[in-house]
Amino acid sequence: MAKRIAIVEDEAAIRDNYAAAFRREGYAVDAYDSRAPALEAFASRLPDLVVIDINLKDDVEGGFELCRELRAQSADLPIIFLTARDSEFDAVSGLRLGADDYLTKDISLPHLMARVAALFRRLDAMQKPQGENGRITRGSLEIDTDRMTVQWRGIPVGLTLTEFWLVHAMARYPGHVKNRQQLMDAAQAVLDDNTITSHVKRIRRKFQAVDADFGCIETVYGMGYRWLAD
Amino acid sequence: MNLKRQLLLVSLLTLVLPWAGCEFIRETESALRQSQQQMLSGTARALAESLERYPEEFPAQPKGNETPADQLYGHRLDTEPLIDGYFNDWSLPPDALRQIRGTDGPIRFVVGLHGRYVYLYTAVSDDDVVYASPSTIAIEDGPGYADRVVLISANPPMASESLMFAAEAPGPVIAYLRSSFGFAPEPAVLARWQDVAGGYQVEARIPANLLGTHLGINVINTSSEREPGARSASFAGQVPGPFVTTSPDLMLLAEKLVQPGTRMLITDRNGWRIAAVGSPGTATQPAQGAVSNWLRIAYTALVEPGTEPAFAEPDPSGRERQPYIAAALDGRSSESWFRSIDSGRAIVAVAEPISSNGNTIGSVVLQQGTDAILSLRNAGLARLMNVTIIATVLVAVALLGYATWLSRRIRRLSLAAEQAVEGAAIRTALPSAESGDEIGDLSRSFSSVLGQLADYNDYLRSLASKLSHELRTPLAIVTSSLENLEHEGLEGAPADYTARAKDGAERLRRILNAMSEASRVEELMEHAEPEEFRLESVLSPTVDAYRDVYPDRRFEFNCNAADTGMRGSPELLIQMLDKLVDNAADFSSDGDLIRISVESGDGGLVLSVHNPGPPLPERMRSQLFDSMVSVRAAGSDKHLGLGLYVAKLIAEGHGGRITAENADDGVRFSVVLPVADAKLAQVGRE
Repeated sequence: MAKRIAIVEDEAAIRDNYAAAFRREGYAVDAYDSRAPALEAFASRLPDLVVIDINLKDDVEGGFELCRELRAQSADLPIIFLTARDSEFDAVSGLRLGADDYLTKDISLPHLMARVAALFRRLDAMQKPQGENGRITRGSLEIDTDRMTVQWRGIPVGLTLTEFWLVHAMARYPGHVKNRQQLMDAAQAVLDDNTITSHVKRIRRKFQAVDADFGCIETVYGMGYRWLAD
Repeated sequence: MNLKRQLLLVSLLTLVLPWAGCEFIRETESALRQSQQQMLSGTARALAESLERYPEEFPAQPKGNETPADQLYGHRLDTEPLIDGYFNDWSLPPDALRQIRGTDGPIRFVVGLHGRYVYLYTAVSDDDVVYASPSTIAIEDGPGYADRVVLISANPPMASESLMFAAEAPGPVIAYLRSSFGFAPEPAVLARWQDVAGGYQVEARIPANLLGTHLGINVINTSSEREPGARSASFAGQVPGPFVTTSPDLMLLAEKLVQPGTRMLITDRNGWRIAAVGSPGTATQPAQGAVSNWLRIAYTALVEPGTEPAFAEPDPSGRERQPYIAAALDGRSSESWFRSIDSGRAIVAVAEPISSNGNTIGSVVLQQGTDAILSLRNAGLARLMNVTIIATVLVAVALLGYATWLSRRIRRLSLAAEQAVEGAAIRTALPSAESGDEIGDLSRSFSSVLGQLADYNDYLRSLASKLSHELRTPLAIVTSSLENLEHEGLEGAPADYTARAKDGAERLRRILNAMSEASRVEELMEHAEPEEFRLESVLSPTVDAYRDVYPDRRFEFNCNAADTGMRGSPELLIQMLDKLVDNAADFSSDGDLIRISVESGDGGLVLSVHNPGPPLPERMRSQLFDSMVSVRAAGSDKHLGLGLYVAKLIAEGHGGRITAENADDGVRFSVVLPVADAKLAQVGRE
């Protein structure tokens, strides 16, 4: 049975374009233009993945509201913000509400598809017992590539999809400098310098929340970042 | 010329005050003088009328073709002269001597009266004095072969007599009288002959009763005892003119009539003075009390000039020839006035004809000093000067103070207006905004203009990010549509077009990203956590990386600072350097050397980026770091003038400042980064 994706987007052209792209990939798509009809539909049946715009017509913060309500209904429903708002503040707010990813609308459709596919893959992997083959260990770091989760000293570190891919790209070859372009490719996103800086900063903070002495991600000025084996 | 000088110049206008005051004083003086003149004139008219009752006191008209020049005037002598042949003991000025032409030079003589005697003094120029001998003197009717002075006395119509003075030697002279009774010595006459260089002098005393009503003088100059000699006479015809002298009766009368401070002169028909009494005050004497020099200058410059007062004095020759007296003798009332330049004193004078039976028989002249007016005027002038000087100084000081205050306000306003736009944010509060005058208006207009400018600046600053935000959604529509289109199995031209459209959309996306970069940097700085780091160790690898990014440029990195430790966000500083280096690379050519250096300077570390290339246009210097300002030629894409703005945001976020200058055939951008307490300032949304 095809996975069901719900798109909540007030801009009809974008909504239809995304819906078409998802359908082409074989997903079933429900499209809503505002919060009320979406909630109404979700009340009877939750989709497998939700793509939400923050600004829904006159409902400026409608997407955040919707995300909060959906997360209340289901803890593991993948939620992606797809919005024109590129401020750091909005991104942090969105992720704090429990979204799995925060994407700006300049992301390309293939990248979006890759992310959706990855999220579904992770969801599937969660259902299965943990396999050994999708596991990378670098010192205290343990990466589960199937479930796309990371553990530091045995403690899970909650990373978004983008963050996971960045950590994965760096930690796969510790000591190697990954420049911005490489990181961008790994994260399946078009990110500018500042966005990468912010992401790295957030990743460090998440690790530091688990281990205050965390210092494995090193900035190589003018070049990029690298993972230092601890 | 600044405001202060202008107002000072204007204050000079108060110098018009003394001029106006002087005009007023002059007018006043002139009016007072005229009224005094009128009063005097009235007095003179009354006097003239009363004198008309004494026509017999006025000498008879000369008869026939006789003229005043034929007449002799007898001066009243105050003292009795000694008969010594010298003039110096005569109580007369030398000007009283009358002069006629002689063969060897001028002959001067004067006739005086004292008591019962008539005095005669004659000074004759004679190159060769011929003395008389007893024989020549005694010759009764023959030519007197000797140099001699002859006094002709006549009582027309009777024949004239002559009194002859000839000397046998210098010393006492015996006078001979030739009359109808014969020729004989006249013992009642006392005379003395004195030889002097170039001639001789004769002084004689004749009892008045010996002489007639007409008098004249002949001087005979001979060169030898046998020649008759040449005659020089005081009169033209055969008979001399009537002898004129002051009239004792008129003098008495005049003395009764004249007022103190007034001089009264009475002349006969020919202007001979027949009475003179009184004095016109102290007018002709030097001023009492010293008149200061500047006051004298003021008089000369400001006061109406007049004729010298010496002309008011009675003529020493005894005949008054002043124009105003001559006019009176012509039958017209006339007046005149005189002024001493030295003392400023003036004398008013009036002359009135005296007529009898329709003929003018003489004139009466009154002269009076104007001391009262003078002192009035002096006091007025002095006070005017003082008041004017005080007023001028006061006005000048007041205007100067006012100008200083005014120009200080204007300067403060202009300074504030200049500084208002210098900082990052525009300050719209200006001095003098509260005051109700024009400067207050100006200040308020400035404030309102600055306010609009600030609004506009805010608008510009947010324009880029707003625009990029608004454009992102339509761009997403385009991009997603194109990507969907690609999946429709396009081939050939449609696929090409789609690919091109995607390229364009991609470029558009990059532009939008650049546009929102500034606001993201502001955001980052807001949340940045400053860390301690060494600037050199951050920059050194970064510059190495630039060598790969810009293979066509050469890079040089110099660190001349001993300690480059600072506090801040290295990522942001690198981003700032990225912008500067990007800028440097754009404005230089292939192979050029871009120099990046760190030095310790005033206020912290100075990071500078120098590139060879065209200089910055002067007019863009101040706006270079503003949002959406670019000095690049129009048409080059990807540059919206945000790079340097972002660099400025980062520099200022670190408490530093960024400057650009033309140097060493290129352009140098310098960023001063404070070391001590550098912490990320809250630059951004507030």
